[in-house]
Amino acid sequence: MIRLCATNIVSSLGFSSKENYEKVTRGISGVKLYPAGTLDVPKDFCASMIDNERLEEAFGMHCEPKADYTKLEKAAILSVVLALEGTSIDPADNDTLFILSSTKGNVDFLETDPYSEKIYLWHSSRMIADYFGNPNTPMIVSNACISGACAQIVAHRELSSGKYHTAIVVGADMLCKFIVSGFQTLRAMSPTFCRPFDVDRKGLNLGEVAATMVYRVSEEKEGIELVTGAIRNDANHISGPSRTGEGGYNALKYICRNIESKDIAFINAHGTATLYNDEMESIAITRAGLGAVPVNCLKGYYGHTLGAAGVLEAILASYALQSHNILATKGFGKLGVSQPIDVVGGLRTTDKDYFIKLLSGFGGTNAAMLFKLWRNDK
Amino acid sequence: MKVIINKYRYLGGINDEKELTLLYREMGIEYSKFFKMDGLCKIGFLASEMLLADEPERFQPLKDRAVICFNGSSSLQDDSNYNATINDADNYYPSPSLFVYTLSNIVTGELAIRNKYYGESSFYISRIFDAEMICRTVNEAFMDEETNSILVGWTEYFREEKEALMMLVSRADDNAKGELMTVERLQQIYTNERQYKKEDDGRRIN
Amino acid sequence: MMEEELIDKLKKEIINVLNLEDIKPEDIGVDAPLFGSGLGLDSIDALELIVLMEKNYGIKLKDPAQGKEIFKSVHTMADYIAKNRIK
Repeated sequence: MIRLCATNIVSSLGFSSKENYEKVTRGISGVKLYPAGTLDVPKDFCASMIDNERLEEAFGMHCEPKADYTKLEKAAILSVVLALEGTSIDPADNDTLFILSSTKGNVDFLETDPYSEKIYLWHSSRMIADYFGNPNTPMIVSNACISGACAQIVAHRELSSGKYHTAIVVGADMLCKFIVSGFQTLRAMSPTFCRPFDVDRKGLNLGEVAATMVYRVSEEKEGIELVTGAIRNDANHISGPSRTGEGGYNALKYICRNIESKDIAFINAHGTATLYNDEMESIAITRAGLGAVPVNCLKGYYGHTLGAAGVLEAILASYALQSHNILATKGFGKLGVSQPIDVVGGLRTTDKDYFIKLLSGFGGTNAAMLFKLWRNDK
Repeated sequence: MKVIINKYRYLGGINDEKELTLLYREMGIEYSKFFKMDGLCKIGFLASEMLLADEPERFQPLKDRAVICFNGSSSLQDDSNYNATINDADNYYPSPSLFVYTLSNIVTGELAIRNKYYGESSFYISRIFDAEMICRTVNEAFMDEETNSILVGWTEYFREEKEALMMLVSRADDNAKGELMTVERLQQIYTNERQYKKEDDGRRIN
Repeated sequence: MMEEELIDKLKKEIINVLNLEDIKPEDIGVDAPLFGSGLGLDSIDALELIVLMEKNYGIKLKDPAQGKEIFKSVHTMADYIAKNRIK
């Protein structure tokens, strides 16, 4: 089976998975209102951002300055270094594959240095893998906001095929004028803190994170297993969610084909808090026969972290399940979607063994992953 | 598992979107959404139209067909176009219609919409046409039990590199027509098609 | 600017920013619905029209929901622009 062996989160809430998880359980959010002028964006916006000084300090403490790294590369390298600390995992092994998930990479270089190789995602992935002396060409997933899930699904496939034994999945996206201005011009952003699934939701917040999940082939029945995953297209509109939740529904149906909904502790939804996304997800979940499964969402703690979202949120959901918890949906008060789904407003406990991570993205993409907790006592 | 290449088409020798529009009209396609697309989507769209034109029961919804594309430059051409709408503080008008195309996987979305493919859609970045990685990734995509065929594309559109190789591949079974997909054959197809483009001076359409 | 002049100008601008390559200004009826049927415009087109209003006429729409009424037809757009333009 494909087992989760190590994780790390580098974010506005700290530089370890444990610290991030503890703050999230206490309801602390990294999202702030940034004034006009931040990142040269002429309008104010709500986002969570990694403190540059803190990142430099941590990088200096834990990593070697082997090359000239961008903020994204530093955050990603730091995240992998910290994830591997205390483990016996060798990132330079032939059997280890790096998988990078990022939607925009170093897109800000288009403005400052458009003929630099730094504008290419393959260059960033090479910088990251080379830091660790890994000999394999990294896989690079660029599948909009579901990239983080796709990277894990690719890890599952690569490890299952037997070609590799270890997959280091890194999801990272850093905010810049390009990204913030784009979501603003789409009128997708909330002027205040986002409210997933809430009747008063007004759009998304953004966030920057680098997060790492290390998966390995293992027969040890303990910890978190990535059981299966699926990616499905709505075939409807390139940026608008499908009104029938087609892709989400198909992805959920596929991953649940061998289990019963009563065994699922929770569905960690995408929940960007736009009018249409949350509505669409509620439809997909209900159509898939999962309407009674508790639903939560973590966008209220970080905002939408794009290519990192699938990795970040799966890590936190894994920690939660291992602690027999369901994390609260920050920003949620009153249900504002057409389907009567059970959105988790406050921290709950659970005794079930599975959780689902659901995501959707531009291009009509949708992804669903099924995770299982192996308990020592069973 | 064994994968069969059913057919493929290559579109190269393209200099700009005007030429793509010309080709669109020559092909007699009527799909007004084409004009909203960025160059990457246009070239992927046209190459796939060439490939799928003779599909029996075209536009019948398919739940078991995936769309998986690859390139080296992601959506950098459209990224540059979008950037031009924001890089002058005195003329700052970010364009929503340009921004929605600043993701390389949008081309897979356009192909899924056009052809009603409800299966997987994915996009991967690779500095060069990496036949080994493409072969491996496509093979592994069939681990999804519901996927029976895949529209595979190398869709590049940035600076001097503007080309699209579209292939239809499927699980090898008694009905599958075509040739075995191997790393060597993939590399051969790509290299040959590009070579024809260079020799041809004009547009190479297989 | 005369209403007719503005309507002509607006039609050309709409065709341009929305990439309506197969449409000529005379194809767009002044009172014909822009959304729904007809030109087949979608939500992204509506957002692009909001940018057009700001860029060419200096009109900032605080609430994109206002667009529903303003963008009903070229005529309603021209009326709104004539009343609110700064440029």
